[in-house]
Amino acid sequence: MFGPTGILIAVIVLTMVLAVFFLIRPAVTAGAREKILAFIALFILPALCIGGGMSRHMERSEQTRFCISCHAMAPYGQSLYVDDAKYLPAAHFQNHRIPVETACYACHADYTIYGPLKDKLQGITRIYMQYVSTPPKTIHIRGGYSNLQCLHCHAGARNFEANPVHQAIMDSLKSNQMSCVSSGCHDTVHNVAAMGNVKFWSSAQ
Amino acid sequence: MKLRTIGIQQFFRVSSGLIILGLLVEIVSLLWFHPLAFVLFAFVGASLIGLGILVYLASLVFAVSPPAGNRG
Repeated sequence: MFGPTGILIAVIVLTMVLAVFFLIRPAVTAGAREKILAFIALFILPALCIGGGMSRHMERSEQTRFCISCHAMAPYGQSLYVDDAKYLPAAHFQNHRIPVETACYACHADYTIYGPLKDKLQGITRIYMQYVSTPPKTIHIRGGYSNLQCLHCHAGARNFEANPVHQAIMDSLKSNQMSCVSSGCHDTVHNVAAMGNVKFWSSAQ
Repeated sequence: MKLRTIGIQQFFRVSSGLIILGLLVEIVSLLWFHPLAFVLFAFVGASLIGLGILVYLASLVFAVSPPAGNRG
């Protein structure tokens, strides 16, 4: 229970106690020792709280339950439990080919140097659409789904590289000219429109 | 400069107040598991804390220290 969030909250409470002290009695900072304490309480600890908070929020935003906590994303979460191996996300999720706790992130993260920042900005755009403007009826990934996200795990894997179909089109796949998910090969992805007519797998958990 | 007329204690009060508010917002954002919690933290909490830090740093540069006789 007393995990990273608990430690961060403890640091926040300590910072607040010190800040309250300087709010009530700012005059105590006349001495050198108190000046150092003020530096810790009003600069070091708050900066640590910002960094820690940002890190915790970034970590939390990678979790599957975080993504599907948005109303628009709920059917995408449901699609992970479809009892049909043709459903690509469901097959990955149910067979633990991706970490189940961070399933959305595993397949949708931008694995580049500024990827997490770009993902966050796109997430904020989606929040804006949800709460300020109008969310689209169908959610599209800007620029389409990149093969790089599949290849992040599959490239170099024996069953991927040895597959004769993959071998024949490997260059097109690696250069993203031919999409893994929309070229007729692995094209049953979330398919949320069909969620009312599919059977769901119920996990033993 | 006008800022020099403001005492260090006033700066500390404002800085502490902003930091406390920001930290309260941060606690709420950490306990609330929702995409809006990130927005709350990044745009409100972190901004308030950051502003509090800036006010504290400004106090080091601009504030007038109390006369030596009034110290302690």
